[in-house]
Amino acid sequence: MNGTEPGSSQAQRSNTILAGIRVLDFTHILAGPFCTRLLADLGADVVKVESATKPERMGSRKTSSSAPPRSREDRAPSFLNTNRSKRSIAINLKTKAGRDLAKRLAAVADVLVENFSSGVMDRLELGYEKLQPDNPKLIYISMSGYGHSGPRQAWTSMNMNLQAYTGLMMATGAKEDPPTAIANSWNDYIGGLHGCFGILQALAGRAKTGLGANIDLSQFECSVATFGPLLLSSIVNRTVPPRLGNRSSVAAPQGVYRCAGDDQWCAISVQNDEQWLAFVAAMGNPSWARDDRYTTVLGRQDDHDVLDTHIESWTSGLSNEEVERCLKDAGVPAERMRRINEVLEGPDGAQVFHPWDDPQGGGELTTGVPFTFSASLLAPLRPAPFLGEHSRVALEEWLGMSESEVRELEDQGALV
Amino acid sequence: MSRIIDLADHPGVYAARLLAETGNEVIRVESPDGDVLRRTGPFLGNKPDLEKGAYHQFFNAGKRSLKLNLNMPEGRRVLLDLIRTADAVVASTPLPLEDGEALDVNPRLVLVRINNDEPELCAVARSGLLALTGHPGKRPVLLGGHVVYAGTGLYVAVATAAALVSLQLTGQGQVVDVSIRQCMESLVEQAMVDYKAWGRVTERCGYRGAITAVSGAFPCNDGYWMVSVPHSAEGWAKFVDWVQDPVLSADPSLADEAERDAKKELVVERLGMWSQQFSKLDIVTEAQKRHVPASPLSTPLDLVNDPQLTTRGFLAETDHPDFGRILFPRGAIGSLWGTRLAPAPTLGQHNDQILKGLGYTDSDLKALADSGAV
Repeated sequence: MNGTEPGSSQAQRSNTILAGIRVLDFTHILAGPFCTRLLADLGADVVKVESATKPERMGSRKTSSSAPPRSREDRAPSFLNTNRSKRSIAINLKTKAGRDLAKRLAAVADVLVENFSSGVMDRLELGYEKLQPDNPKLIYISMSGYGHSGPRQAWTSMNMNLQAYTGLMMATGAKEDPPTAIANSWNDYIGGLHGCFGILQALAGRAKTGLGANIDLSQFECSVATFGPLLLSSIVNRTVPPRLGNRSSVAAPQGVYRCAGDDQWCAISVQNDEQWLAFVAAMGNPSWARDDRYTTVLGRQDDHDVLDTHIESWTSGLSNEEVERCLKDAGVPAERMRRINEVLEGPDGAQVFHPWDDPQGGGELTTGVPFTFSASLLAPLRPAPFLGEHSRVALEEWLGMSESEVRELEDQGALV
Repeated sequence: MSRIIDLADHPGVYAARLLAETGNEVIRVESPDGDVLRRTGPFLGNKPDLEKGAYHQFFNAGKRSLKLNLNMPEGRRVLLDLIRTADAVVASTPLPLEDGEALDVNPRLVLVRINNDEPELCAVARSGLLALTGHPGKRPVLLGGHVVYAGTGLYVAVATAAALVSLQLTGQGQVVDVSIRQCMESLVEQAMVDYKAWGRVTERCGYRGAITAVSGAFPCNDGYWMVSVPHSAEGWAKFVDWVQDPVLSADPSLADEAERDAKKELVVERLGMWSQQFSKLDIVTEAQKRHVPASPLSTPLDLVNDPQLTTRGFLAETDHPDFGRILFPRGAIGSLWGTRLAPAPTLGQHNDQILKGLGYTDSDLKALADSGAV
């Protein structure tokens, strides 16, 4: 059947939400590529602009140089997971021919996504003002660290810097704890999700008005926004909001309790007075728990430190699996702390990661999307592209370019 | 502009706030007792008050409030009348309606169902996120400020916005199911990749970054700053030249990253002693001039006058009915869309307006009030 070769956009199923939407993707590392992967999953044709002259710095957190087993040689495992389902065109933006080509592609794109430092796209003559006249419908989104304006515009940001600056580290932990971070690229996900939301709303708006948009997103602001409540509290009360650790301001007792074994823990969260009684029974009705004050949540909150000590002396004698099972059987919310190996294993393992077969050997599991539609399809999972794998077919489909025109660009050094 | 009916609990509530930031009309349907979000502190003004919870004030800004008793058939009838006029309903399950009722009254509807089965701390423990947060060997801890729920709410916003695109293009709505459990799990994908590729189980790391051999929070004379020391030999040389610490400058073996990693504690100690002399803003500004990724370590109070936030209009002066003229966070999206959000509504503030808009008469309103349905 014509036009259904792998790599051709016509091989995509036609009833995904973003079928036919063209995304020109200049992003790299995580926040931007995570955003464009969501667009690809929703059915967009995401064409990633890369160059052999600028191999992507993966910022691997692993210092060993041993190659993982059964892997592709060309891309790091995190790249394969983040950039699956996209196509790749190789363009050398240091050449004028390359920049002109990028401009032609932008003229027929629906969405352009970039997360370079402020000023980079302008220097490449690919800023919004240059592109908009040829494509007034273009939705152009920049996802820089601090935005393209303001006194921090030129600051370099990495995930841990943003965890510090946005207040995450000082909001996390109990009162006397040192600053506490999360060991993942938290801010990249928050920024990427805000970006994806903005693009989708701009697309809905464009369907009504015919107009594109220029979205200058700041990852710093995205993360600060998630702390909006604490920020608002500080603005009005002029104090630092209390750090709650693992406690809830509405439920008690709640906490993470040490269990038997090495560095094993269980989370427990008693939501109401009935669950408290069930909890007490599950622990074998210890005398300390039969205090009248504890029949109400206020009483339990007041004495939370004492409760925690008692609860932990109970949990310390049991494995976290035993604590979880015992409390779940009693109708009390409890979950053992799972490390990634436990998250992935067993019949109650994570559902968002899908086994798949990258024919080139790129890893056994990939992240899916955590939602489904009753009428629309999600795009099928496709392996991450080789660098420049789709240059020819993308140029043919987007620009109607002939083989001889492509060869001319190759001769000019533009397609590398 | 679409009409969004918001029935989301905390895990999904950021979605409708974002839809308000892009200029949609958002009506939050609320229980007459006031929900958990309204009861979640801290409280603006420091006293518990159903109108002054910080989470309510932030997440419900830009929304109108319709107070309805959905335990009563009359209340559910009003909800269906409202749904008849809506483009989307964003709701936590179980829905206060029978299966299919919402789509019967409005076949074009986008119905977003947010499926959540655990309290926050338990869900976070199950997802793998808890194991990533905290200091090595110390008690693992939940991310503060309920930001995990901001993350899940963002996924709800993306799913809703995608369905609204489809509605716009095809004229047809649909049911969207969002799994809060899977939203949380997706955020540990880096640990998944590391585990599947190398068999490595990612552990919590305190505040040490993992990208370069020496990174983390160091003390200043007025708090802390966060820096990722450059990992190349050249970058290290420039850094050491700036710091001018006699011990670090005297050890040429530190030019090698592996050597720095091995002597991490010494490097960290010397850098801490050096940086204590400076204010965090001064040292961060100087580091940034030298292209070293650095930032201050902030509390939320440190951000209330942040020049980047005020210059870009993220924080803008607003007249608040209870607190007077204050800087109000417009949102990372709202400030770009140019939307001025109204302050969060009082409970049922827009009942009359909304019900009359549905065609209810004054005597209808009285009957509903008398019955306790509103």
